[in-house]
Amino acid sequence: MAKSITFIVTKDCQLACKYCYLVGKNTKERMSWEVAKQAIDYILDREEEFREESVIWDFIGGEPFLEIDLIDKICDYLKTEMYRRNHHWFNSYRFSFSTNGINYHTEKVQRFIEKNRNHLSIGITIDGTERKHDLNRIWKTPEMEQGIMPKAEEERGSYKDVVKNIPLWLEQFPGAGTKVTISSADLPYIKESVLHLYSLGIKEVNINCVFEDVWKEGDDQLFEEQLTELADAIIDGRLYEDHACSFFQEHIGKPMDRERDNQNWCGAGMMLAVDAAGMFYPCTRFAQYSLRSKSAWIIGNIHDGIDKNKLRPFLTLDRCTQSTEECITCEVASGCAWCQGENFDAADTHTVYQRSTAICKMHKARVRANNYYWNKLFRKLELQEYEEQKRKSNCKACEI
Amino acid sequence: MLQYLIILLDDKSVSYCHYELPSDVSREESLMPLDTLRAGIVFAMKENLNIQFVYPEQALSAEYAEVIESIDHTKIKPEAQAKEADVLVLAEWKKQIPDDVEGATCIIRASRKELQENLEQVKDLLGKVMRLNVVLTDIEAFKDEDVAGYQSLLEALSDLLIDQFKIGRMVQLNLLTDRLLLTQMNNCGAGDTTLSLAPNGKFYLCPAFYYDDPEQDVGNLKDGLNIKNRQLMRLDHAPICRHCDAYQCKRCIWMNCRLTLDANTPSHQQCVVAHVGRNASRNLLKKMAEQGIHMSDTHEIKEINYLDPFNNYKKWK
Repeated sequence: MAKSITFIVTKDCQLACKYCYLVGKNTKERMSWEVAKQAIDYILDREEEFREESVIWDFIGGEPFLEIDLIDKICDYLKTEMYRRNHHWFNSYRFSFSTNGINYHTEKVQRFIEKNRNHLSIGITIDGTERKHDLNRIWKTPEMEQGIMPKAEEERGSYKDVVKNIPLWLEQFPGAGTKVTISSADLPYIKESVLHLYSLGIKEVNINCVFEDVWKEGDDQLFEEQLTELADAIIDGRLYEDHACSFFQEHIGKPMDRERDNQNWCGAGMMLAVDAAGMFYPCTRFAQYSLRSKSAWIIGNIHDGIDKNKLRPFLTLDRCTQSTEECITCEVASGCAWCQGENFDAADTHTVYQRSTAICKMHKARVRANNYYWNKLFRKLELQEYEEQKRKSNCKACEI
Repeated sequence: MLQYLIILLDDKSVSYCHYELPSDVSREESLMPLDTLRAGIVFAMKENLNIQFVYPEQALSAEYAEVIESIDHTKIKPEAQAKEADVLVLAEWKKQIPDDVEGATCIIRASRKELQENLEQVKDLLGKVMRLNVVLTDIEAFKDEDVAGYQSLLEALSDLLIDQFKIGRMVQLNLLTDRLLLTQMNNCGAGDTTLSLAPNGKFYLCPAFYYDDPEQDVGNLKDGLNIKNRQLMRLDHAPICRHCDAYQCKRCIWMNCRLTLDANTPSHQQCVVAHVGRNASRNLLKKMAEQGIHMSDTHEIKEINYLDPFNNYKKWK
């Protein structure tokens, strides 16, 4: 298993996506080299405490590529130090990025990619068609920092600034997938967006509904309709043969056993995140800029180290202890995801043991569409096989 | 299910548990108003709760005494108000053991160091009281390198108990004898079986939450109870504790909240202290058997190879 270690290199971003859970983005909190180096030294000095066989050095923002100079320095130092220390992570590491793609083509980013190509995973977020993408993923304006939001007609979408970099990205990372986020306003555009992303050459679309409590009356029906139409398009167009969409998964929507299927969904606590102030978190979602209504869950800092007591609630989390009886006995429970950070933020008390159920009706709608997808696909494949066998036996009969 | 209501008669009511009284509790109006006291009693009557009144150092007026006596209850009192105490909280270590402790249930709050330095007084107390509850005040500061020292301290206390048992006094010392008699968890029950009412008329999971921050209330006498995530106070929602057999542990949720930030998860220190105690009880039982001392209702305590059940969490998952 890989350890995921995230550097929150900046809390700034060129965009101001409307569904972004990072409610405290700002231009001030940029990681310094000194903080990054101390964090690395702290982690690499404690090889016996970080026993995972490999590591993902993850860089997140805001927009991480705004800090490409720092990232380049961090990665050089990591490589040198892992080698110098003969650390077990040397040659068992990846650098991972989720980017809005705007700076992807720039010289500095390209030079970095060239330098680290064999140890790199980069995901560019493009949300689908231009109208779907630009509905949420808009450019930040200077006025937004003063809390003044632009009028709808003044909003500037970022689709064109991102899509121009997709061919280069796919050339460099042919198997790369994109991550699409669905909020209430996006629902009418799901089908066209997934198909559009396929048409851009992206074979894997990882898509999920936001976990926050944003869903309105009727959203589940609309969601189900969109997914059903998408299922038809994927199956009728034989796109399933070489494309994937994470909404459709064979084994979701089944009851779960209290004991056998009691694992936690999320890896919070197994991961480690560090921010510009040198604070450690169980995942980025527990840093203050991610939280609406709670104080940050800080598990230590680069000077005093990690307080393992503050990780204990995460490491002992299981599905049933944090779920309501309704969730535990739900007949379509499998595949119903949760985000530990959102659970914490939405909880009635200071706990990670209260599962948010805001996504319930959307999961159920997804399960219905997913059942439709697999029933339709299996029947199609079954009939194809039947036709094929019939054809073969007819041929044999002809030979006789 | 709620069973007990702790009523703090005053902001300066004696601390009988892990929490310290804040240094700024010299507020003039610190006594619970009589109307609040009456309403608290009525609440307890309607909810079928046993009341434990916690007294301050200063004497209460006859008016208060009359209201208090209107209901069956337990009195937790500081030494200065020892008369009629059901549970007596001793203020400090004294060379001369006060007569009030004769046959009483006493509580003393002490660090391990204080306990070690006052073993003679503990010996004298064990010779007089029926039961002594030692509340350790330095659990948060406990380190792994302190284990051996704490084991020795408990061994010394075991020897003091054995001496009493030999002369036929089956005195109880919570740190060692509770685990002998238990076959299941016997926790403090804050928020689950026990609730506290502060002088401000608000309910708290326990007095410690009130003294930490009066805004952490879980309801009030006017609007009723509002305990959110109450299931997390129960043993079945505590992933570490439900796998544990240190049954004598108080499972202090206030300390959980301070050290791990979650009410249902104990810290490493709490678990280790409880397990050193559990193992010391096991050794005491062995010593008793060797010396032919019989105590009724004791149970075998299995040998285990860990001090923190958290270390086993991967096996449960």
